[in-house]
Amino acid sequence: MRKILSGSVATLFAAFALTGSALAFEPGNTECIAPANPGGGWDFTCRQVGKTLYDIKVISNPMQVVNKAGGGGGVAFAEVVSKRNEDNNLIVAASSATATRLAQGAYPGASMDQVRWIGTVGADYGVIAVSKDSPINTLPELLDQIKADPASVPVAGGSAVGGWDHLKVLIAAQKADIDVKKVKYVAFDGGGEAVTQLLGGHVKAFSGDISEAKGFVDSGDIKIIAVLAPERLPGEFDQFPTAREQGVDVVGANWRGFYAPGDMSDDAYDFWTGAIKTVYDSDEWKQVMTQNGLMPLSLSGEEFQTFVSEHIGQVETLSKEIGLIK
Amino acid sequence: MEALSSLADGFTVALTLQNLFLALLGCFLGTIIGALPGLGPSNGVAILIPLAFTLGLPATPALILLTSVYYGAMYGGRISSILLNIPGDEPALMTTLDGYPMAKKGQAGEALALSGIASFIGAFFATWGLVFLAPLLVSVALLFGPAEYFALFTLAFCTLGGVASRNQAKAAVAAALGIGISTIGVDAMAGVDRFTFGNVHLFSGIDFLIAIVGLFAISEVFLFLEHRGQGEASNANMKLGRVTAPLSMIKACLGAMSRSTVLGFLAGVLPGAGASLGSFISYSIEKRVSDGQKTFGKGDPRGVAAPEAGNNAAAGGALVPMLALGVPGSGTTAVLLAMLLALNITPGPLLFQQNPDVVWGLIAALFIGNIMLLAMNIPLVSLFVRVLLIPPRYLMPAVAMISFVGIYGISGSTFDLYLLVGFGVAGYILRKLDVPLVPVILGTLLGGEMEKSLRRAVQISDGDWSVLLGSPLAVGLWAFAILGFIAPLIVGRYLRPKIADSTAAEGADPD
Amino acid sequence: MSDRIFGVVCLLLAGFYIYSASTIELGFIETPVGPRAFPYIIGTLLALGGLYPILVPDERPDWPDMRGMIEIVFAVAVLIAYAFLLEDVGFVIATAFAAALLGWRLGTPPLRAAVSGVLISVGIYVIFHLILGLSLARGPWGF
Repeated sequence: MRKILSGSVATLFAAFALTGSALAFEPGNTECIAPANPGGGWDFTCRQVGKTLYDIKVISNPMQVVNKAGGGGGVAFAEVVSKRNEDNNLIVAASSATATRLAQGAYPGASMDQVRWIGTVGADYGVIAVSKDSPINTLPELLDQIKADPASVPVAGGSAVGGWDHLKVLIAAQKADIDVKKVKYVAFDGGGEAVTQLLGGHVKAFSGDISEAKGFVDSGDIKIIAVLAPERLPGEFDQFPTAREQGVDVVGANWRGFYAPGDMSDDAYDFWTGAIKTVYDSDEWKQVMTQNGLMPLSLSGEEFQTFVSEHIGQVETLSKEIGLIK
Repeated sequence: MEALSSLADGFTVALTLQNLFLALLGCFLGTIIGALPGLGPSNGVAILIPLAFTLGLPATPALILLTSVYYGAMYGGRISSILLNIPGDEPALMTTLDGYPMAKKGQAGEALALSGIASFIGAFFATWGLVFLAPLLVSVALLFGPAEYFALFTLAFCTLGGVASRNQAKAAVAAALGIGISTIGVDAMAGVDRFTFGNVHLFSGIDFLIAIVGLFAISEVFLFLEHRGQGEASNANMKLGRVTAPLSMIKACLGAMSRSTVLGFLAGVLPGAGASLGSFISYSIEKRVSDGQKTFGKGDPRGVAAPEAGNNAAAGGALVPMLALGVPGSGTTAVLLAMLLALNITPGPLLFQQNPDVVWGLIAALFIGNIMLLAMNIPLVSLFVRVLLIPPRYLMPAVAMISFVGIYGISGSTFDLYLLVGFGVAGYILRKLDVPLVPVILGTLLGGEMEKSLRRAVQISDGDWSVLLGSPLAVGLWAFAILGFIAPLIVGRYLRPKIADSTAAEGADPD
Repeated sequence: MSDRIFGVVCLLLAGFYIYSASTIELGFIETPVGPRAFPYIIGTLLALGGLYPILVPDERPDWPDMRGMIEIVFAVAVLIAYAFLLEDVGFVIATAFAAALLGWRLGTPPLRAAVSGVLISVGIYVIFHLILGLSLARGPWGF
């Protein structure tokens, strides 16, 4: 009831705005849904982008961040589709995990076409690492050993089985013609815990994001044997070889971005894609990116829509091959 | 002594007017957040992060604010535990066991003052531990692989028999219910749904905060409704009593506090165990060691001092893996870690070398915050106990509504509110049937980790179950669990004092 | 008797839990301990624990009389209605009503209950929303 009411009020205002100013969309009380509790990655995406939008005066009122936790983002997705479908002032934080779960049907009855994908604000690239004492030095060596005796190489990662850290290893294994069902992946709660298990010698390899591994590389405790980026990363990260240059064509970007309600007007959609692009290009955001270890990845509008759909296609195919989904 | 001079540098960083003000603000907000049911240290820190952003604080002041909130919440949780039998958050759970009976005996003020001192001692020495033992403890934490964690969690559940001594079978049922709740949701180890019945709200499991708030706070409201009429009387005979702890009481609790500080700190250092395990183990082992007269659970001051020293020490201990490894040992440190990353500080092995000003400034701030909290909490006892003067007919609706807001404000999910009511009804019935609630919460908190540790261990060893006893540490933990807690139950009551003595000797050196 | 019923409920619950566990899909990777094993153990523990109160019941607990029972059912209804209407009418109004009704049932005279309900609601709104910045349900009027 309330949604309809506020929706119609919003439309009314939008109509005034239309007749008043030019045809462009004017943001009102903007809102960003973080589909998780405060303190997580999605929450940070909302808060930092919201703050930058306001600081660089793309929006005139501070953006309100609303936490809608549950179902790994599924609750927020369902709510946007069913109740907020025409809200022009709403964006929702998303990441690779959102697309992965959509691909695996983890959001019941949901598909990526039910919402409009706005753009990314950066990415954290995947890495595969081993401990400093490991005889393994390159990705092909690791894959050879997995191929020879998969049981002897437990790989730890911070995501659940079927999650992104797991899939990255499987994609690499697949490229090396390894039976992916044999790969021994041990799921931990978060990348940090997984790295500790590598340090303690309880597992042999680690699959995670570069931001999680960086500190331990600097201290000399672990070796990054491959970065899953299309080309070497900028700055001090360029010492790490990519998987691609070692002949294993895997790219695993944990991107961060936004989607918007499916029936958002085209004007509003154009406004938001532009706004996110403006944020991405701003100096303020460059600083946030260096601070958070975010790597460049700028996609917006149609381009992003295609990217997400390719990501979903890839995960779907892989998940079917390994029997995760039917 | 290098540590001491670094610490002195840290104090010069922390001792500015602005930082002192932030520490005071953090301690104050933290205490309130900790006392409110549903909002604990982790949510408290998380919801104040935007404040740090809005104020545009640089790294050190922002961290000072947030760690003060963290320590403040650890102090604050005890207030509602003692006064209302409602734990403000999960680490304060064990404080209800003896704190509320003390309040009922008219010793609310003493319990609050004593627990304030115990909190101070726990946090104070844990911070020293952080200064001197961090590198050493990191190597201890690394010894804990999945098999050792499984043994540790088993130990925690074995001690339950000692905590709820009245009816062991009911304690077992309660623990099974709690662990059962923890199995709801997507199973990370296999990527399949369990017990979700296709409901998307259950996919990521049930937040243990809902269980705590429902079982304790909402069921309390029902109890008051039932006893309306007589209910007013039960509150009126709560005398306020004195608002300081007598010296003799503090002296009697010194042993409990020191043992619990060590145990709590060690539990905090282990990532994946955390503050709630710290307070739990502290209480149950203290009970085993010194409950000769069977006064625990009936308002024994040591039963208040032990878990409070334990959980505050654990809060300090949890900072060790967070700072030195970048691995959060608890929900709160996970949030602090995210905050550090956002401030361009990468915790990890090099943090102490790369950002000494941040680390030592932070540690100095912990000392300052801790002293502030003690100074603030002791005089405020007389204010806190006045909560008992509010008639339940005004207090209880407020408690119920704050509980609802605490849950909804974090998750934004009305489904969680239905669950909360469900837990409230369940808590009411379980209380009536004399089924202890603590094991339910413990199961919800630790059950998931226990299962995952087991499965990880056996998965890494390729199905070889002997890995569970694969290291001296694991064997030691099992031996301690069986000799200290299982054997006495089987051997029977009349042998108990004897065995309790022998575990006392072991208790000094659990590793 | 109550304990016996409780024991039976535990047994039924354990049975249902173990049955549900047996329908969990096995993961696609073969692991030595699958997603079903632990629930089986817990279910068994629950069943064993449930047997005990059936065999050795405690004394009858002190159940509420009819009046107490009605009070509790009413309170549960209020709280469920609260959760149901919260997002439609907004936080402040829903909370004021719920707090007032609970206060009234706890023995506050109606008018005072209404006033205390409003005070509780506004007080929580100020602390949680305005000071701590949590997003509470915004009704049609924005609060």
